[in-house]
Amino acid sequence: MFLPRWRNALAALLLSTLLFTTACSKADDSPYAQVQEETTQKGAPAAVDKNAEQGSSFNKFFPSSAQGYDVVFVQEKKGFAEAKLKQNGKDVGMLSISDTTSLPSAAQKYQASTEKLSGYPVLEIGATQTGLLVSDRYQVKALTRDPSFTKENRRAWLQKFDLTGLSKLK
Amino acid sequence: MSKPIYELVDELPTGGVTVMALKSLDFVIPGQWQNLTGFNKTIQTVTGETDPAMIQQIGERAVALFNDKSQGYQRAHWLYQTVDSASGALGAAAMANKIGQDISFLGFLDRLTPKPEKAQSIDLTIKLVTELVAFCQINGIPGDSIGDFLGALGDYSGESLMRMAALVCFDGLIPLGPDFIQKGTATIQGLSPKELEQNQTFKGVSDLIPGNNSEGKLNFIGESFDSVKGWMGSFVASNSLTQDKVIDNLTKFVDVTKDKLDYLGAFLDIAVKYYAHTGTQTLARRLIERAVAEL
Repeated sequence: MFLPRWRNALAALLLSTLLFTTACSKADDSPYAQVQEETTQKGAPAAVDKNAEQGSSFNKFFPSSAQGYDVVFVQEKKGFAEAKLKQNGKDVGMLSISDTTSLPSAAQKYQASTEKLSGYPVLEIGATQTGLLVSDRYQVKALTRDPSFTKENRRAWLQKFDLTGLSKLK
Repeated sequence: MSKPIYELVDELPTGGVTVMALKSLDFVIPGQWQNLTGFNKTIQTVTGETDPAMIQQIGERAVALFNDKSQGYQRAHWLYQTVDSASGALGAAAMANKIGQDISFLGFLDRLTPKPEKAQSIDLTIKLVTELVAFCQINGIPGDSIGDFLGALGDYSGESLMRMAALVCFDGLIPLGPDFIQKGTATIQGLSPKELEQNQTFKGVSDLIPGNNSEGKLNFIGESFDSVKGWMGSFVASNSLTQDKVIDNLTKFVDVTKDKLDYLGAFLDIAVKYYAHTGTQTLARRLIERAVAEL
């Protein structure tokens, strides 16, 4: 026995509505749903600015292995370079240089800085990070990855970067 | 467009065959792999930050980075997924019902076909090259840099080290035995570009393997395998790894039997998606490391 045509159409409409709503509802409750939408819609801004400095330019300003610590390069992307700090084979910290052209708010936060390290505005960030800003553009950070790597250690390693050299980068 | 990165990490299983098979390898690299799942949990664990607002910020930057296609993260994810699904040829429908449950090896036996040794060898080398290419997509070193990869391979830890351990054990030792390195080398040396083109696993990822044509890609695969031989050999020797040891441990975690060795390789291909699983974990970690440093 076939359904009358209008019932067919109604069934089809209800089924597609059901599928549509169940498919759409999943993404909504994540705290990251909004940024996901903003960074995937047509014309979304790139996360990395096309004028950002290549990560390879930053490597030479990193400190060298010393005093029982090994510096091992781990990432080199546009606008970003990072090295691991290892002590006796254990990861204790991370060192990074990033170009804040891609993320202006990263530079702006240094306006609240009240102290200087090696002549550059310095901030304690979160519970595990110390950062400084060079030429209002390049953020140099030391991050703790093991509790043995303290705030004092972070500051000491920040001072080992060739910050003067970095300040001359155009 | 890929699934959102936070979904990929939130949906990582905490149990099931892949997870159990990886846990069975803990005896090789004790404590190195913790099966970190959940996006926010990964952020907390990787960064040591606990403030919810900071975690949200880090997560948002990581999401934005993943979604910027120019940064190569989605390509890496695609590689990890594709190489795992290309090497296991059983229908998705058959597996879908069983994922997350105790998969009975014997229950699947009649649907498994032992893969010829040649195909297993090719798979091993392609998976290795895929690791190299994905590594370079994620960490940004140009894709041809085998030297840099070797340097970083010495520093592999956590989920990346687990992926290499699983490659050696599940794609090397179990299907090919103690001579898996020689078999891989011999197979590559005797392979023609045309034959390579017919391999299922190669077909899946060939677009992203450096080389202008199949011959070029075959050369790259050969060079890559050659360069990593030393590391793999040392890994086996320093851990006194044998086929027996690996299988013995596997049987403690996954319902498989030792006496159907030919089928075990095929079963692992189908059921253990360790590249996709640990690859997602490696990707999330790197994204989060970059995100927190850039903020």
